[in-house]
Order: sequence, then structure tokens, then C-alpha cells
Amino acid sequence: MILQQLVNGLTLGSLYALIALGYTMVYGVLLMINFAHSEILMAGAFASCLLLGSPWLQSNSPGVAIVLAMLGGLLISALLALLMERLAYRPLRRAGRLAPLISAIGVSIFLQNAVFLFISDQSLAYPQIFPIRHFETVGVEINSLQLLILGVAVGLMITLHLFVNRTRLGTAIRATAQDASTASLMGIPVNGIIALTFLIGGALGGVAGALNGMYYGTIKYNMGFVPGLKAFTAAVLGGIGNIAGAMWGGFILGILESLAAGLLPNGSDWKDVIAFSILIIVLLFRPEGLFGRHVPDKV
Amino acid sequence: MRGVTMRTLVGILAAGLLSAGGCGPQEKVVRIALALPLTGDIAALGQGIKRACELALEEAHPKNRFPAFRLEIKAFDDRSDPKEAVDVANRIVSDPRVVAVIGHFNSGCSIPAAQVYARGGLPMISPAASNPKLTLQQLDPGWKYPKSVFRVNTTDDIQGAYAGDFAVKNLKLSRACIIHDKSAYGQGVAEEFRKRFEANGGRTLSFDGISVADKDFNALLTRLRDLSPQMIYFGGDYAGGGLVVRQARGVGEKAAIMLSEANLDPEFLRVAGPAAEGCYLTFLGSPSDLTPTAQSFVEAYKARYPGVEMRAYDHYGYEAMNIVLSVMEKSGPDRARILAALPGLRYQGVLGETRFDEKGDTLNKKITLFRVKDGKFQPLR
Repeated sequence: MILQQLVNGLTLGSLYALIALGYTMVYGVLLMINFAHSEILMAGAFASCLLLGSPWLQSNSPGVAIVLAMLGGLLISALLALLMERLAYRPLRRAGRLAPLISAIGVSIFLQNAVFLFISDQSLAYPQIFPIRHFETVGVEINSLQLLILGVAVGLMITLHLFVNRTRLGTAIRATAQDASTASLMGIPVNGIIALTFLIGGALGGVAGALNGMYYGTIKYNMGFVPGLKAFTAAVLGGIGNIAGAMWGGFILGILESLAAGLLPNGSDWKDVIAFSILIIVLLFRPEGLFGRHVPDKV
Repeated sequence: MRGVTMRTLVGILAAGLLSAGGCGPQEKVVRIALALPLTGDIAALGQGIKRACELALEEAHPKNRFPAFRLEIKAFDDRSDPKEAVDVANRIVSDPRVVAVIGHFNSGCSIPAAQVYARGGLPMISPAASNPKLTLQQLDPGWKYPKSVFRVNTTDDIQGAYAGDFAVKNLKLSRACIIHDKSAYGQGVAEEFRKRFEANGGRTLSFDGISVADKDFNALLTRLRDLSPQMIYFGGDYAGGGLVVRQARGVGEKAAIMLSEANLDPEFLRVAGPAAEGCYLTFLGSPSDLTPTAQSFVEAYKARYPGVEMRAYDHYGYEAMNIVLSVMEKSGPDRARILAALPGLRYQGVLGETRFDEKGDTLNKKITLFRVKDGKFQPLR
């Protein structure tokens, strides 16, 4: 029973974690919360869904179609994030911290309404490409979709971890996050690095959107809002700005929600109360989050 | 003889001049407000009712039923949000040209908004809100306003009881898990079901609320599966119902599933997919395609809006609008006089005969039962 709920929680948590990475990476380099990130998730879901419905993907085998659709969602979301940074945030880089925040909310409203008006104001059914198979071991049941989500999410997170810690570009990202002006003195193209973090965050968000669509079977113009909010919470829980923190935060939040809803009678009424109470308690004792480092104010 | 004809002629001319003058800028405008969810999760249902009301008004125009003033519809969007609904209600009440309001759709919106309309003495006819509290609140000793709430659909105490009877007496099921979407409507109908189900000897294993926006109910449904119920009852609209059914079958739930009427929508079938097969649904009254008296409306609607899918409450919106029009024909465009005429109304329309009881609820208490078969809603009885 607990193991079964852990499986539910891990699946949910890996989706949260993928989205949370987008929030935390942008915060790391810009100290800005990109509230339009939830719409990147939505865009990835729509792009992959429309691709899957298109005739030239349906002729392929299911495996190829899924990979291509996910790549399509990834590409559209990454480009959208890049465009967002260039048009809505970069011009406001020196305008104080409130202006880009408001700009982000504006972008979010704009994108939701654009999809509402031009694509659909209703739920779209996400095509089911392969029959869902159930596997059972030691009393725990897991289906092929959950395995796919866990596999893709964990794979992407390991890749990201290696990229950030083992490559020159990754080092440049970390340097920019530590101190942008010193990094630029060392010859790092800070503007390019900031664009790169948006690109990576957007790509992960797009994949998360596609997986979200597959898992729940429907997509809608406002589908990004709640997962976005939860993922943001996960990023704060793990320590915003910290990449490992976002991953752990996502898993912890997903598992907490599933255990609360799955083990307590009336738990689904209380799961948000429980999850957010734990968030508050953690922040009371560790305001920097579980994995964040305390950074003294730069004066 | 000759003089008489001359005088008639002059009279006709004068009348023509007067009415021509009436089309000028000082022409009197009378409004019927629509307060419906036009955007948001269940926008499709609100948009359908709006189309039906506009159709009713268009049909009234060529017959020139209201020569003394220009009648128009003004639509307001409550986004299914109670806070928004109260704001909309305040705007509607403060417009003196509005003589009646059709709406709201959700019980959660209708209940607080009704108090605003009552304060302004504005008659309100809901085409869909089904929580009994909407009209019951007027009998509260603290209710100091005129009774101004009416509805053309029947209520959830009738629907929940019907479902509770059917589950125990016809399906012979006695162990149920109940889920609702935490809305005034969803929770209300789930409680009514529970009351009757337990009175019939059934046992409720669990009673849970879900936040529809979460989309993920796997944890809850896994727990319910392990309680091994014989049936699951869901109270709420299709935004949650489709997902619950899909995920319940996904975690291997084999129990019968029964849902309240706001799931009788093509979108429920789209979201639930093949999992919808075999689900039972109750509907308030009967849908337009099964109502003999509604056939002319169905034809007119399809002719006016070709290619548009009809929604479950369109004929209720049409009826509510026509009731307002017919009352206004006799009593004129005045809030208080319309309000005075509604309780004694006997109206023959697309829903059959509509009369209101002392609370303002329709006496037409029919419920229809459906089962999903081959991806379609099939009426059972």
C-alpha cells in the first residue's frame, strides 16, 4: 500500500522536478521568478499533442512517434523560452526586480489567451499511442506510462547534472549564477549564458508538458497553472537557485501529496494543507530551503 | 362612412410617425442580463445557453412582441467563480435597464449572487443551478428581501435520491465510495446521494473531495480500490468527472461508476476515453433530443447555428428566456411586476409545463438515467 503510493508519488514528483528545474535555473542566474514558465509547459503539451495528431507522425511506429513528438514539444518550448527572455525580460534587465516579474505575469496571461482563442477553449484529448501495460512485482503495480515518465525524467536530470558540473558551458552557467559581472570580466558571454539557461529550462518544461499530457490524457490552455505553482513550491522547498534542490524538492512534494491523499481517510481534502505545512516548517528552520546555501546579502 | 375611413387613415399615419420617432436616440432600451460561465473550465455550457437565449430573442423580434421598447440581451461572464459572480451581480443590479437575469449556471455562483439580485428586487431564473439551498435560503428568517429566485431545472435532492435508489434497488449495490469536487454543486449532490443510499441500507466506505485543477487523483483512487467498493459515485462537473473515471480504470478499479448530471457532455467522453464505457449518469429533466416538446427548438437551433454541438442545458436557457419574454408581454418591462407574475405562472414550452412551487423551484421533477455504451450516452429510462 505504502509502496504503491510511493510509485504514484514518484511519478508525480518527477514531473514536478522537471518543471521546478526551469524555475530554479532562471532564478539562479537572474534572481528572477519566471512566472510564465507554467505556460512553457502548456506550449510543450500542445505542440507534442498537435504533432501526434498530424498525419506524417501517425505513419511512424509508436516508439518513433513518441520520441519525435517529445522532441517537437521540447523544441517549441525551448524556442518560446528563448523568445520570452529576448522580448520580455532582457529589455528589463536593469529595471529593478519588480518590472520583470510583472512582465512575466503579462507573458503568462498573453500565452494562455492566445491558445484559448486560436487553438481551443476546451480540453483536447491527448492521443494514446501505445496500449498501457501493467507490471506487478512484490505487490506493487506500475504501468508502462509511469515507467516512461520516470525514465525520461531521471535520464534528463542526470544529463543536466553532468552538463552543469562537467562541461565548460556548465561551468560558465555556474560562474554566471555566482557573480554575473565578474563572470563577464573573465570573458564569459553573460547574455548568451542567460539565454542558454532559459533554453534548457524551457526544453525540460516542454518535455514535462508532453509527459503531463500523455499521463492525464487531456490538455487545456490553463493546464500549466497548478503544476507550475506546485513546481515553484518544490523549487523553494529544495532551495531556489539550487539544481539538485529542485529535483529533490519535486520528488519530496510529489511523494508527500500522494502519501497524504492515499493513506489518510479524507486525505485528498487535506493533502495540500499537509504538503504546505511541511513547506512552512522547513522554511522556518531553513529559510534557504533544504539544499540551498545561505548567501549573505551582497553590499 | 367616408369620414371614419379618413380618421382611421390619419390614425394609422400618426401611429406610424410615432413609432418611427421611437427609433430615434431616445428610444427606450430594456435589457435581459445573462450571467453565465463564458470562459473557464465549463465555458462550453455557458456559451450554449447564451446561444439559446439569443435564438429566443431573435424569434421574438419578427413577431414584434415588444413594440414599445427595444429589447436586448447583455451577457456577463462569471467564469464559474463565486467571487466573480457576486461582482457581476452587483453590476447587473445597478443597471436600471435590466429587468431580469438568466443565470447563474453553477450553484456555487448562484447562491451568493441570488442575494444581490434579491436586494435589488431583480427576478433571477437559473437554467441549471441545482443545489437545493439556492431557493431554500429565501425561507431563512434572516432573508429580508422579496423572493426573487426561480429555476427551470429540478434539484439535487431529487437527483441524489434517484441515484441512491437506483444503486441499491436496481443495481443491488451496497458498498460505495463517494467522491465530489468540493463545489457547492458537487458536494451537495454527493451528500444527497449518500443520504438516500444509506437510508436504503447501503454503506458508505469513504467520502472524499478532490481539487479538480490537480488533475492527479491516482493516490486517492488507489486507496479507494483497496477498500474494494461495489460502486463509486462522483458529484461534480465533467472537468473532474472525466479524469476520475479515466484514472479509476487506470489503477484497475472494476466497480460500477455513477456520476451526476454535469458530466453529460461530449467533453466527458473525450477526457475519459474508453474508460467511460459502462458509466451511469443521471440527468435533471430530460435532454433536448429526448424531449418531444423540444424538437422544434432543436431544429431551430441547428438551423441557426450549423455545425455547433448542442450542449445539455441549451433548452433550459431557451425556456428561461421565453418565460421572461412571455411574462413581460403581459406585465411590461418592470422588475417588480415581472417578479409578481412569476409565482402564478403556468407556461407551456419546450420543457412541457413549467409551474413554480412556493420556493421558486419547478414542479417538473423528472430525472433521466443514462449509461455510456459504444462511446455514446444511451438513455436507460
